[in-house]
Amino acid sequence: MNDRPPIVDVRGLHVRFGEVEAVAGVDLVAYAGQSSALLGRNGAGKSTTMRVLAGVVPATAGTVVVAGHDVRHEPLMAKRAVGYCPDVGGLVPRATPWEHLQLTARLRRLRDWEDRARDLLERFELGDVAHRVTAGFSHGMGRRLSVVLAALHEPDVLLLDEPFDGVDPIGVEATLEVVSDARARGACVLVSTHLRELAVEACTTVSVLRGGSRVATMASTEMLGEEGARAYRGLLD
Amino acid sequence: MPTAVSSTELVPERRQRRHPVSNAVRAVADVGYVLRFRAGTVRHRGLSVLGGLLLLGVTAAIAIVPAYVEGAGGPAEAFDVLVVLPTALAGFVVLAIVSAAASGGGRELIPRDPMSIHPISPTTDHLGALLLAPLNIAWLIQAWALMGATAFAVGSSYVYQAQVVVLLWLVAGTAFAQVLAWTLEGVRRVPHGIVGVRMLNVVVFGVALGLQLTDQMISVFDSLPTRWFVLGMIADDGGRWLASVGVVLAGALVLAVLGAVPAHIAAHRVPRDELRVESGQYASRPSPRSDLAAMVRTDRGSVWRAVPMRRGVAVLAIGPGVVAVLGNLQWSSMTILPGLVASGGALLYGVNAWCLDSRGTLWRESLPVLPRTVFDARALVLAEFLLVASLLTVAVAAIRAGVPSLPEVTALISTLLVVTVQVVGASMRWSFKRPYAVDLRSSRATPAPPSMMVAYSARLALSTTVTGLFFSALSQADDWSLSLLIAVAMLSWSGIRLIRVRRLWDDPAERARVVTTVAVA
Repeated sequence: MNDRPPIVDVRGLHVRFGEVEAVAGVDLVAYAGQSSALLGRNGAGKSTTMRVLAGVVPATAGTVVVAGHDVRHEPLMAKRAVGYCPDVGGLVPRATPWEHLQLTARLRRLRDWEDRARDLLERFELGDVAHRVTAGFSHGMGRRLSVVLAALHEPDVLLLDEPFDGVDPIGVEATLEVVSDARARGACVLVSTHLRELAVEACTTVSVLRGGSRVATMASTEMLGEEGARAYRGLLD
Repeated sequence: MPTAVSSTELVPERRQRRHPVSNAVRAVADVGYVLRFRAGTVRHRGLSVLGGLLLLGVTAAIAIVPAYVEGAGGPAEAFDVLVVLPTALAGFVVLAIVSAAASGGGRELIPRDPMSIHPISPTTDHLGALLLAPLNIAWLIQAWALMGATAFAVGSSYVYQAQVVVLLWLVAGTAFAQVLAWTLEGVRRVPHGIVGVRMLNVVVFGVALGLQLTDQMISVFDSLPTRWFVLGMIADDGGRWLASVGVVLAGALVLAVLGAVPAHIAAHRVPRDELRVESGQYASRPSPRSDLAAMVRTDRGSVWRAVPMRRGVAVLAIGPGVVAVLGNLQWSSMTILPGLVASGGALLYGVNAWCLDSRGTLWRESLPVLPRTVFDARALVLAEFLLVASLLTVAVAAIRAGVPSLPEVTALISTLLVVTVQVVGASMRWSFKRPYAVDLRSSRATPAPPSMMVAYSARLALSTTVTGLFFSALSQADDWSLSLLIAVAMLSWSGIRLIRVRRLWDDPAERARVVTTVAVA
């Protein structure tokens, strides 16, 4: 049991798109200095939950508090506290990585951000393409840049939706490093992924979603190895 | 695992090589499959069918009714129209060429990325573009004008036989335009091809201007072979009419088939325009000073770095102006131009303005910025895009128009402002109401499905033409301030409608609907 107040506090979250209920009553808490993974099959509601936390999609019902700000009532404050890497694309096709960084720096009122931006681009091996439009990027390059954009302002809450999807080992390593750095400075990290092993490596706790609801939360060590794989499989069916 | 080519695999390959006809048959069949697929994705099918029937009804009415009005087929006005019909036939082909060439070979039956996973040949793509060509308001208006003029010129005795020739001419002219467009696209894709095509444009414009300035344009029109087809339309001799029909039909078929050749050549070459945009380096600039400036800069980049927008706006800005110069358009009639250009500009991306960010929309929506600032930036960049194109057109058209009177100047300025705000308002309204997931990378991409593009263009053309005609009448008034007063009233009305959409954009649920729709492109 954690005595500190949670940085992410989701209670009774419902998200409906017309007839489809994408999220059907998710409760979730995450704390500073903690990294949590959201696991589950396609359509389990992971990405929609992340979108709600990022302030992109409003909740149909329930409360969502991020870094002390209710996402419904203080959307701008919540967005300032969050760094979000969306699951699809996430990049403006005819803008360069540097222009993306410039935009986020301006809107977040960052000062002297250039050195950190260059460092992140180098760590993710994107330094050479910093001034090329992203439309010509490969899927993996796009994913890596999305992580850089989410991490630039050292947010209180780092939301990474499928950050490892199609990413090469160097990109995976750099992403794990970003997660680790964020935790070290006391940020709360949420990672949504299909890749159980990477989730275990990146996170301290794992929550499994099924059919729009959370079915389990456990320490990531319980998801390790063959036994972990069996336990995960059991939670999916 | 096979280590050499199997004899059983060779047979179909040889057969394929031996039978280009079977490949063509397959390509035609594929057009049917793709069409059915596209039809299945139409959101409001009943409405689309109704729209299609309405379009057919209007076309039939335009093709027949003028033949029964007083004076049709007579020796006075009808004869004057008959005399210019050969020029009108040629004019239709010129417009079809410009339209097809500007869109890099015509519109896509199915967008490039989803199509790339299917074994669809360039022949299918070519035939699809040919089928979609009429779903363009410029094409439709030209076709309707041609049909209406023909009906009035020939009268009720010849209307049906003449319209058969006109219909086939529309097909043949469109197919010819397609052949040229694919060829130009093929040339654009070779080293220095883009420069070559631009030089060709300059030469064509120079020749046309030279002919006009030396008063030889009319004699060129008089010597056009299209006269032969017009004479065929009104021939009493069935054989002569049949000969006209046969020649146009054969031409249409040959050109439709022939278009597949340059389509294949172009498809096997790299699109250099797009490659240049995607692989080019863009120097960094100082940080913008406000949130709005930052959003405007990003939006400007999305617009001016997109190949379809750059090509489209170049054609829109220069084309009507050149026609105005060649036609010696007077200041009082110039009020028609801004509406035409603004409507065309909106159809390049404005009617689905949120698609600019494409897959980046989710990330942009997660940034801490007021929704109204995002909306304002998008509307401002669209207005700027339309105004730049309209002003360029007017500047070109003004070359031969002499010195305008004060009422003409105020009427033109009023039109520019009113149609820009009208078109921006309508575009932002439609973008909010009906967003589509579209990737505007390809020079052939359109911001909405073909049927919606027709509906949007018809509505834009109607409202902006009425506005243009209204201010054209006001330019004849003695009082120059009349235009400005009416412009203020019209701007207020359009402005209120724009503000209403801006308020709707504030609703997070509605915004999420738009954002999640366009983000899957």
